[in-house]
Amino acid sequence: MSAPVVGSVQQDDSGPDISREIGRAEADLASKAWPLTGDDAANLKRAGLILCAADVLWIAQAAIIALVSAWLLEVFLAAKLTDLPGDKNSIFYLIYAALGFCLLAYIRAWLQWVSSRYANDVAREAKLRLRSSFLSSIAKASPAAKMADSGTISVHLAEHVDALGPYLSRFQPQMMRVKVVPLVILAAILPFSWLAAIILLVCGPIIPVFMALIGIRAKAASSRQQEELARMGSVLLDRIRGLETLRLFGALPRTVGEVAEAGDRFRVGTMQVLKIAFLSSTVLELFSALGIAFVAVYVGFSLLGDVSSGTWGAPLSYFSGLFILLLVPEFFAPLRSYAAAYHDRAAGLSAAEKLRGLMEGLAGGAGDQGLDKGSDHPRLSLPIGRAPEIEVRNLHVSHDDKLVLQDFSFSLASGKALVITGESGAGKTTLLDCLLGFLKVDQGVIHIDGMDLGDLDAAKWRQSLAWLGQSPRLFHGSLQANLRMADQSADEGAMMKALELAGAGNLLARLPHGLKTQLGDDGFGLSVGEARRVALARAALRTHAGLFIADEPTAGLDEETANDVRAGLRHLKAGRTMLIVTHDPALIELADQHLVLKKAGQA
Amino acid sequence: MKAILRILVLQVRHAPWRFVGGILLALVPLLAGLALLGVAGWFITAAAIAGLTGVFLNIFVPSALIRGFAIARTAGRYGERLLTHDVTFRFLANLRMRVFKGAAVETLSEGRATRSALLLNRMTTDIAALDAIYLRLVVPICLSLLTFCLAALVFGGTALWAVLPLAIFAGVMASLFRLAGGHADRQAARRQEAALDAVRVRSVDLVAGRRDLAIYGGLDDAAAKVEGAAERLNEADVQDGQRSAQLASYSFLAGQILFAALLVILGEAVLGAKLDVAVAVALLLFSLALPEVFVSGVPGALALARTKLAARRILPNVEEADLFDRSFPQVAVDSGSASSGEGRDAALTLEFEAVSFRYRGAREPVVRELSFAVGKGEIVALTGRSGCGKSTVSALASALIQPESGTVRLLGQPLSDWHEADLRRSVTVLSQRPYLFHGSIADNLRIANPQASDADLWAALDAAALGDRIRADAAGLAAILGEGGFGLSGGEQRRLGLARAYLTSPAFWILDEMTEGLDEATAEDVLARFLSFRGEAAVLMIAHKQQEIDKADRVLRLTDNGLVD
Repeated sequence: MSAPVVGSVQQDDSGPDISREIGRAEADLASKAWPLTGDDAANLKRAGLILCAADVLWIAQAAIIALVSAWLLEVFLAAKLTDLPGDKNSIFYLIYAALGFCLLAYIRAWLQWVSSRYANDVAREAKLRLRSSFLSSIAKASPAAKMADSGTISVHLAEHVDALGPYLSRFQPQMMRVKVVPLVILAAILPFSWLAAIILLVCGPIIPVFMALIGIRAKAASSRQQEELARMGSVLLDRIRGLETLRLFGALPRTVGEVAEAGDRFRVGTMQVLKIAFLSSTVLELFSALGIAFVAVYVGFSLLGDVSSGTWGAPLSYFSGLFILLLVPEFFAPLRSYAAAYHDRAAGLSAAEKLRGLMEGLAGGAGDQGLDKGSDHPRLSLPIGRAPEIEVRNLHVSHDDKLVLQDFSFSLASGKALVITGESGAGKTTLLDCLLGFLKVDQGVIHIDGMDLGDLDAAKWRQSLAWLGQSPRLFHGSLQANLRMADQSADEGAMMKALELAGAGNLLARLPHGLKTQLGDDGFGLSVGEARRVALARAALRTHAGLFIADEPTAGLDEETANDVRAGLRHLKAGRTMLIVTHDPALIELADQHLVLKKAGQA
Repeated sequence: MKAILRILVLQVRHAPWRFVGGILLALVPLLAGLALLGVAGWFITAAAIAGLTGVFLNIFVPSALIRGFAIARTAGRYGERLLTHDVTFRFLANLRMRVFKGAAVETLSEGRATRSALLLNRMTTDIAALDAIYLRLVVPICLSLLTFCLAALVFGGTALWAVLPLAIFAGVMASLFRLAGGHADRQAARRQEAALDAVRVRSVDLVAGRRDLAIYGGLDDAAAKVEGAAERLNEADVQDGQRSAQLASYSFLAGQILFAALLVILGEAVLGAKLDVAVAVALLLFSLALPEVFVSGVPGALALARTKLAARRILPNVEEADLFDRSFPQVAVDSGSASSGEGRDAALTLEFEAVSFRYRGAREPVVRELSFAVGKGEIVALTGRSGCGKSTVSALASALIQPESGTVRLLGQPLSDWHEADLRRSVTVLSQRPYLFHGSIADNLRIANPQASDADLWAALDAAALGDRIRADAAGLAAILGEGGFGLSGGEQRRLGLARAYLTSPAFWILDEMTEGLDEATAEDVLARFLSFRGEAAVLMIAHKQQEIDKADRVLRLTDNGLVD
């Protein structure tokens, strides 16, 4: 979403805040090295040095140009003074010089390419590594563990990890370049003229001072602009979502005015940020143009003999004068590229910070790993299709440092249905989380067909039961793909039957492509009730499940859908052990056993 | 390319003079930069000749020129950037509004709004990507062409042979440009975008659905799917990076070879005494800065594929924008005309005549040959199983969707003959979930009637039994509601929707499961308040609660086989 401002600022070689950078850059790299490994850092350093080498070769190219020009001048003057025709073979000197120049150019192009290869490789590896470590910690964490919301994590995984790419591949090599190249160029100029070196030394380091002043304002303006962008986005989204309401009240024409206003505010803000950014690049331009102008005038006057100081004794020769002039633009070039890549740094570092925060959050949340963590002893699995008997004895569970279940026991015979009711917060969902292996039990035992739940293979256990949650989620993909998540081998007939059972038969008739209809944002949107019916059908497709667990299966539904869900559950009860947690009195009819759960400490 | 050109035409039309002015202004710093190096080279060479031979040299003109060019380059750059960016962003703001209008038409005509995130993306990310058209394509290409002509003229007047390598160089750059924006890249851009979308969507699924995944399908599998998408994304990024590095290397090399060729040609001219050495050095330094101008088009070429995608995505919406202006004109067309609801005395308020409707792509119509009527002042309840098309009837009656066949009449006149503004004044819909906007309570209420005074608002709030709740808040009417009406309970949101509806005075009300999800006492209160407010207006009540049905004069039951009284 931040693209508009960002895109423009980044491509115009104007980056604020260069000053603090130069001093702190090294420290930043050291302290914010995460997520880089030692190898990555070494490779980035190599990429930077190779880029420097490509730049430094310009000194040799400049020397060739200056030598050729000085020689031409000599020939020109000789011809003028003596009227002698030039050497016929001298054209070959020019060709040799041009070939030498091209050879150096080729080496420079090759070095630049190699440098970008190194830098891109580091960026690629780092991004892959980060994403896969995030994903595996998400997959390993217990589903019951606390986690940042899905939208945030998705932005982290997509945009923020991507933002690290340019920071690593573009900015880091430029940082090396800005530290090395201007110094090398100064060193090349110094033997010829200390005055020219001083002109550059003054023009160069003054830049950061000006940039610092502008940078402070730029930062404030651009964070204001980020807010403005977010505000415009939310106005737009809000109006799109409410389009129907706006139309029904005849308010659409007025809305366009509001949208235009929000767009205009955003445009004005963008221009404010850009003005500051352009100002800072103008400062760079000014100094680089003035540097060229000063050096040209100084060299010209020296050659005329009007100025005789600034050198180490001997007067400035034409060769050295031109050589110095040719090096001046290259002295400023790294500063300009650095400023252009500066935005990548800001984006990269803020992304890295956010990612690190998320990583720590995930590591903290992964403490609850339920059945998946622990010893490596061989895992047992249950026979498929059998309705298990369940025994829970003296269960103590705490969640978030709070005792949720205390000394809780029940036993449920094979093929019977247990309905558990109780006030909110009594630990109903916690109990189910324990049974599903999402939460660890502090004390007590859960026996499934006489086997300790802790000894079972968690994945196999979960695949062997059917479950219907209170806000079941359907996934991006076709209806068919969603249903088959319960049973890969389910054929069309089985799926139709399951949908029928869940009262979703006429939903299917309305879908544009039947079972192949895509669900989700870009596809067919289902209402809450429709989604619950599909989830019930998904649960029903797990025909081999001997245990059916339902968590508030009728909560938040209209009466009609709730009735269909109840009927579906009644049907699915046959031949299964069933455990239902609910507030719904109508579901108690299904129960062979009924238990009321009280808050821990009140029982 | 067509889509980009269409957008370009729109931009030229939007502000033709500023469009051209930006390009011309951009020429100033460019020429000043080229001239700065050229004059500097000429000056020091001429100074060297003068120093060695004692010939007189006017030093004031060239040194003044050098300073002048230095300043022109800097100031021109600043001005040029301000102007070109301002031109672009003004146009984009205008374009965004057009896309909004088009998106509104699209959403409203589909009858089911499920793609708000996608539309938002078009109005933010895609629009932002289009700044490349002027800033990174038009301006650099025009500058390259103008610079080429200028350089050809300069060389033509001094060393004719130098035009040849210049032309070859321009040709090479043009083909690199084509290569960068070519077909292969379009595929790559599409792959990259698809992979990024997959990472986003699948990671949302993984996190939000992790309980479901643990039981159905498996968490590790889902994580592996995201990782697969991330790998595809990385692969696309790597190709992107390689291409841009290659392009940078090639164009750098082309510029350097051009310079080497000019070195030989200009040097030969000096050796052959055909060219003054000072001019030769000036030209050499001038051509040293020349390639940079042509290279400035490379980023635009690299982004071309993505720019095209964005342009293609928004174009249909842009073209539908005019439809919006026609359907929802800024001012109502003479509201006293025949189409106005006021003063009309039809015996039937609403009439359905053999109306059928099917959702786009659906096999079966959801409403088939439906006929019924609501008399003047009558309350009719419409009931039936969910999914039988009750809400579709409500949408048809309020002209949110158009029937496939048959006619819907309001006050004796087919809905298709009504002016939108008049129609909206004559019908008010109270839905199950009123949409509340992010803004103040007053903003939300005034959507129904922008002229309403604060007293009107309080009266409406009191009529909806929400006045005391709002008065209790220090901010009162100015209290800000969050996204989706955060801060008010479900029942309070419903009442706010009711208060908003009370600011209208329609001839016909449609209640779409108005009390669904409210507890019995609240529902009774809301219903009673509504019935006393409605006055003489007729009501169509979509209902399945007995409590609602009891209030009706007549009950119609919608079944798969049609209507049952």
